[in-house]
Amino acid sequence: MSAAGVTFTRVRKAFGEAVAVKGLDLAIRPGEFVSLLGPSGCGKTTTLRMLAGLEFPTSGEIMIGDRVVNDVAPGKRDIAMVFQSYALYPHMTVGENIAYPLKKQGMAKAERATQVARIAAMLKLEALLDRKPRQLSGGQQQRVALGRALVRSPKVFLLDEPLSNLDAKLRAHMRAELIELHRTLGRTFVYVTHDQLEAMTMSDRIAVMEGGELRQFAPPREVYDRPANLFVAGFIGTPPMNTLPGGFTDGTFSHPAITARFTVTGAPARVVLGVRPEDVLIGQGPHRATVRVVEPTGHETIVMLDAGGSPLTARAPAEASLNPGDAVSFALRAEKLHLFDAESQARLDARAVTLGESE
Amino acid sequence: MLGVMLIAPCVLIFCAVIVYPLVSAVYLSLFNIFTPTLQGNFVGLQNYAELFAGEEFWRSLLNTLIWTVCTLFLQVVLGVAAALMLHQAIVFRALARSLILFPYFVSTVVAVLVWRWLFNDLYGILNHLMMWSGLLQMPLDWLGSMPNAMVSIVLVGAWKYFPFVVIAILARLQTIPDQLYEAATIDGAGAWSRFTDVTLPQLKDVLMVVVLLRAIWDFKEFDLIYLMTGGGPLIATQTLPLMVYKEAFGLDAMGRATAVAVAMMAVMLVFMVLYLRRMGKEEAR
Amino acid sequence: MKRVAFNLMAWTIVLVTAFPLIWMVITSVKPQFELFRIPPTFWPEEITFEHYRRLLWETPFLTFMRNSLILSFSTTVLVVAVATLGAHSLVRFRYPGRERLAQLVLFTYLLPSVVLILPLYLMMVWLGVANSLLSLVIAYTSFALPYALWLLRSFMQGIPDDLESAALVDGATRMEAFFDVILPQALPGIISTSLFTFILSWNEYLYALVLVNTDSARPLTTGVMSMLVSSFNIEWSLLMAASVMMSVPLIIIFAVLQKYLTRGFGAGGVKG
Ligand SMILES: Nc1ncnc2c1ncn2[C@@H]1O[C@H](COP(=O)(O)OP(=O)(O)O)[C@@H](O)[C@H]1O
Ligand SMILES: [Mg+2]
Repeated sequence: MSAAGVTFTRVRKAFGEAVAVKGLDLAIRPGEFVSLLGPSGCGKTTTLRMLAGLEFPTSGEIMIGDRVVNDVAPGKRDIAMVFQSYALYPHMTVGENIAYPLKKQGMAKAERATQVARIAAMLKLEALLDRKPRQLSGGQQQRVALGRALVRSPKVFLLDEPLSNLDAKLRAHMRAELIELHRTLGRTFVYVTHDQLEAMTMSDRIAVMEGGELRQFAPPREVYDRPANLFVAGFIGTPPMNTLPGGFTDGTFSHPAITARFTVTGAPARVVLGVRPEDVLIGQGPHRATVRVVEPTGHETIVMLDAGGSPLTARAPAEASLNPGDAVSFALRAEKLHLFDAESQARLDARAVTLGESE
Repeated sequence: MLGVMLIAPCVLIFCAVIVYPLVSAVYLSLFNIFTPTLQGNFVGLQNYAELFAGEEFWRSLLNTLIWTVCTLFLQVVLGVAAALMLHQAIVFRALARSLILFPYFVSTVVAVLVWRWLFNDLYGILNHLMMWSGLLQMPLDWLGSMPNAMVSIVLVGAWKYFPFVVIAILARLQTIPDQLYEAATIDGAGAWSRFTDVTLPQLKDVLMVVVLLRAIWDFKEFDLIYLMTGGGPLIATQTLPLMVYKEAFGLDAMGRATAVAVAMMAVMLVFMVLYLRRMGKEEAR
Repeated sequence: MKRVAFNLMAWTIVLVTAFPLIWMVITSVKPQFELFRIPPTFWPEEITFEHYRRLLWETPFLTFMRNSLILSFSTTVLVVAVATLGAHSLVRFRYPGRERLAQLVLFTYLLPSVVLILPLYLMMVWLGVANSLLSLVIAYTSFALPYALWLLRSFMQGIPDDLESAALVDGATRMEAFFDVILPQALPGIISTSLFTFILSWNEYLYALVLVNTDSARPLTTGVMSMLVSSFNIEWSLLMAASVMMSVPLIIIFAVLQKYLTRGFGAGGVKG
């Protein structure tokens, strides 16, 4: 047994009137770590549950490896799943929980014990095997859930927000552990999260979803550097990317505070300029703005500006001494500007060449 | 598919012992049936016509309403009071709770036997205690005369069923967060206004449900009244369920009895729909 | 001081409420002649178990008791078994008409017995099972099943969906998931429901009155009442002894399993 790829082809899922997933096309490579990222209610869990066989797609096709699994029972798909609620069987001990999938495979008792011991050693659960789930801390429960998924070496691991019930410190620790686990096992991981930090740090590729639709499917770096549309641009990054709506004529973007010339072909008349806060350089430059709010976070200072009537967020060094009401000059990193079609919200393939203040 | 198979036994039993009898009741009410032989002939709506023209049905309906309203009122007042009391820290609270709840769980037959012994006109302790304390000059005939008989069944009904209100209210009281009381105290509320401003609004929903449910159950109560007074004296405490029984097995008029039952259900339907609506809303949440 | 006064008042109310039942026990151990003392004595001058002896050996009480036990156990086992499967279906499966069905259950739970009793009576006569315990078991399902179904449904709604999902992913079939995961989780609810169903059946009177009129098939409720009606002069101490005996199972349930009763109330007793 080894890793298997996963393919969604035009998969749609409707609950009565409500459509949770609207025609999803997604091809995950064997051994890949893919995150499904998006705001709550965007259809991530539904997608994962369809892959697990817990929900039936209204239409479309799901493949694991080269097998169409639409009609395959969850237990026969060679997958394992970690639930957000952990879903540990409360009346079974930790050992029995981990052994349950093996028992359902019909594995002999002695063999089961060996396997459970192996997993327990791997996840440092040896001392807890005879406890009931409710006697465990959240972190320990999480590991047991992981153990139950690991024990039968499935081809694909499905994880539904597995870390969201842990405290911040433990979460960082578990992130590292999951990355390590993925590396050693070499299996396919499909990881659902609404936390972009998790998605960015762990994934090979991120599938960003919104309202039941796939918005972008790309490696983390690319999702960050070249967001495919305004939704992704606004969803990834904290604070999020600034978006300044403006007009576009003859390759020139115009906004009350900013003008910029782009090399681009066939751009629409109304566009949105995107710029990340770290690419707004306060100090000197061709543009003017007024400081509205200053938020020191310790290692840097987040500055909210009013640039020609539009809000604009900038990251400044912690030492920067700025006060609300100050008039400042700022510059934008030309090579880091993004341009989006205001109508379709899609990214425009454009490169800024010159920047200047509005007349 | 499996889901349908699992529910199938329930549905079959439902059809056999509920749906079929229900439909059949409506059907039977159109016949004139002699109970001992179960022979009958179709008479259409005549049973209903007779019923509504006669006095007994209306009298029984009135009795049912009087009984329901009075005993329900007492149940709710006593129930809320007892729940508030049991919610406080009193010594041996668990035992107190059990003692209060027990009447609800004993058989109506037991309750009635005990009360009839208490009400006994010659040797009953109740008459004796009331005469001893000066409340009464003469032993009272609790069950054989009016309005005593109605008062008696209302009292026994309240005693038997108020624990239901206690349990419901107590469960709700335990979920009211202490912060609400603390906040009210900080805002300068005294004990009484804490009760009216914090406790009562929190109890409103559960009270609604309890009142509807108890109203339905009290309305259809048979055992307690039948065993206490048998509807007497004459028909002074005869409620609709008792009338059904009397028509069917006392007067051997099975068809007319089902007509009474169906008419009674029509009245109850109002409460039932209200209750179902309410529960539907709670389900949706 | 205020505490003491409050406790006193509270316990007075509790004791007044409980007094009829206390009086029942006291009367049952008083010698017959002491009942007719005027003024009555509170504490028995002499404690006797004579009435219990007579009740058990000289009346059909034990037959009634046996009937009641058989009847209540059969009804409970039948109803809870069927309702557990049904409730599981109502909670975990999706099929057309499921919501309607749930509503219907609640509706039937409110139906007055007097509407159903006459057609049921005809049905029993027609089936040829009238005047038997079987007829009562069948009739009792008409109120016990909606009740149990509603109660169990509430309990099972409290079991997270993820548990069943996890079992399915782990390789269980739906039935296996039911037995391995849902059933153990529903056990407290099943116990509560069984107790309530048992008590309901134990205490039922109307169906027993209409459907059975031989001593050999009478349960306690109608049996004891027939002792009241048939005796020449009412022997209150005997009847009080019968009442105490009749309440023994309830007292046991109350003493040992009360937490299940209150839990059952939280789940469905009030909700519906
Ligand atoms: N069983 C269901 N019945 C009806 N609607 C559902 C069901 N499951 C999910 N939905 C709806 O589908 C949408 C997507 O849900 P979900 O996949 O759980 O989102 P996410 O996991 O991204 O937060 C939501 O609007 C949700 O309300
Ligand atoms: Mg989710």
